[in-house]
Amino acid sequence: MKKEKVSKAFYLMTIPMAILFFIFHTYPFIKGVFYSFTDWKGYGDWNFVNLRNYLHIFKDKNVISSYLFTFKFALAATIGVNILSMILACALNAKIRCKNFLKAVYFLPYMLGVLIIGYIFKYIFSNIIPMVGSSLGIEALSNNLLGTDSAWIPVLIVTIWQGLAFNTLIYLAGLQTVDTSLYEAASLDGATGLKRFLKITFPLIAPFFTINMVLSGKNYLMAFDQMMAMTNGGPGTATTTISVLIYKKGFTGGQFAYQSANAVLLFLIIIFISVLQLKVLEKREERVGE
Amino acid sequence: MNMKKVIAVIMAGVMTAGFVTGCGQSSKSKSTKDGKVQLEIFSTKPESAKTLQGLIDKFMKEHQDISISLTSQADAGTILKTRLTKNDIPDIIAMGGDATYTELQSAGVLLDLSDSGFTEKVQESYLQMVYDVNKDEEKKAYGIPYATNASGVIYNKDIFEEAGVKVPKTWTEFMEVCEKLKAAGYTPFELTYADAWCGLPAWNSMATVIPEKGFTDARKKGETTFADTHKEVMEKYLKILNYAQEGFLGTTYNDGNAAFAKGNAAMSIQGNWAISEYIKTNKDINIDMFAFPSTDKADSNTVTSGVDVLMAVSNQASEEQQEAGKKFIEFMLAQENAKQYIEEQFAFSAVKGVEQDNETVAGLKKDIAEGRVSNFPDHYYPSGYDLAAILQECALNFTNGMSEQENIAATLKLCDEQYDAANVE
Repeated sequence: MKKEKVSKAFYLMTIPMAILFFIFHTYPFIKGVFYSFTDWKGYGDWNFVNLRNYLHIFKDKNVISSYLFTFKFALAATIGVNILSMILACALNAKIRCKNFLKAVYFLPYMLGVLIIGYIFKYIFSNIIPMVGSSLGIEALSNNLLGTDSAWIPVLIVTIWQGLAFNTLIYLAGLQTVDTSLYEAASLDGATGLKRFLKITFPLIAPFFTINMVLSGKNYLMAFDQMMAMTNGGPGTATTTISVLIYKKGFTGGQFAYQSANAVLLFLIIIFISVLQLKVLEKREERVGE
Repeated sequence: MNMKKVIAVIMAGVMTAGFVTGCGQSSKSKSTKDGKVQLEIFSTKPESAKTLQGLIDKFMKEHQDISISLTSQADAGTILKTRLTKNDIPDIIAMGGDATYTELQSAGVLLDLSDSGFTEKVQESYLQMVYDVNKDEEKKAYGIPYATNASGVIYNKDIFEEAGVKVPKTWTEFMEVCEKLKAAGYTPFELTYADAWCGLPAWNSMATVIPEKGFTDARKKGETTFADTHKEVMEKYLKILNYAQEGFLGTTYNDGNAAFAKGNAAMSIQGNWAISEYIKTNKDINIDMFAFPSTDKADSNTVTSGVDVLMAVSNQASEEQQEAGKKFIEFMLAQENAKQYIEEQFAFSAVKGVEQDNETVAGLKKDIAEGRVSNFPDHYYPSGYDLAAILQECALNFTNGMSEQENIAATLKLCDEQYDAANVE
């Protein structure tokens, strides 16, 4: 049997990337998994401790409370981002004026780093909003929200605002694939407005919905930058997500190995949730596709 | 050749290269060059690099046979620990008297300087702090304390005068001052709890004075708890919060410093490091410091002061290098040079007879000269113990209106739980 000859150029394009990926991503990851079975502090000697680190996670109140917060945050952010970006995408897809300008406006936050945005909003929430709040006599806004129990809400707002851009872009790409003649046919049959969206547009862009849900779910389960910039996990531990906890305790708290175990657990949880989302949403795609 | 084989070979090659570079030994520089002894000084405080370099240049002018290079990078603690694992110890190390020092000292790479005559030149109380962080609290000077910091209460002299209050010596007086300031329409404290570490200075001042001596050791062994010993500390901690400005939990260090410098509040619970920040905003600010009056016994209240910089010599260096290193430390300990260091760095000196004359810290001078100082208690807590976050949570409970008793119980319980969680490695 004779195989079809594949041009070497393809290998030249893919292999260097694969190697780099292995060195900078897979290899450290495997190392991290390895160290999660030890008592390494980040330097010096270490011993194998078997599953001790993993068993300790389930007894650690810090870990449990930050998982609960992370789930709450990820759920709110994923739903918020997807609803808003869907609305935005539909609006930007319509024949409105200054369409391209508006697209640029909404895409701008995505081009800035989350850290930069976080620091700017930290300033806004701690200086400008309290000033406006107290001059308008609104009790709830006259103090820095980041120093209260509701600190997670400003963080959520910033996260959604920043995350909108990418999801909107994907939905827009999805909407462009919808054949406009379908809309014409639908309007002849009397389907307009919300009904047209639910019965025609949404089923047709269902695969894009799946991608967005999975990607944003994964992103927000790993939320890190915005907390580091805006609250540093505080006040107290009120906005400590699991990634923040791993970073803080692992690097500054000398719990490198233990937090590696925590990171491995987070990895498994994210895989589980992503696969679950894919399964459920793909099934739904098939159903609505019928 | 089969494509797969080629890929395999490339992969193997790259991987080995990665391993080699990742675990390679950095070659140790030669100890002498052109007849000069080569020394490397590693400083963990990048902010003092300029001062240090000035002193090094002066030293090299006096000692033509010694050549010194200064290494001062950000995140120095981590770099030092990494170099420790590679057995690549700098010849002279200028570092804080903290957990990183303990790490180096217990690894046995530091030279014992007890017999070098340096110990007589520095204050006993700071030497003791270095002994305290030695492994098994061994009474040997592996590091010579050099510069120190001081934490207490910084107050605005003008506001104190206008309100007609005097510097308090006891806790009762302290509370009276707060009450009078409040009655006169001043905000007693500017607290900046949005940055978690800013909740520590008040705790640090009280936690060394109020609980029985030897708490930190007993706690480490699990013989006592925070709940049993720190109740008074917490009660006083919460009293202070009553006198803070509105929304103190949302005030960041930078914003609060600016507000204090503009005279928005009478006092701030911070250390000498904050003074330069105030001067940045208002160079005419009229301030001074006093020791935190933790108790009603004026004599037992102390200035919280830790070893900010100590000097150590590596015993891995060659004999000539060790001798040259000692010469350098001797040079640094000379009155005139020690004075230059603290003046430029706005610090205090561990060297006997060298005093910080700046008037913004004049109120502490007597306490420090008489040795009424105690170390930062958090230097003795396990490194993973995030007390700052616990105290921030306590402040959050306070602003949420939780009752004092409930808050104290909850916070101290959390202190103990977190301590136990951090004490296991």
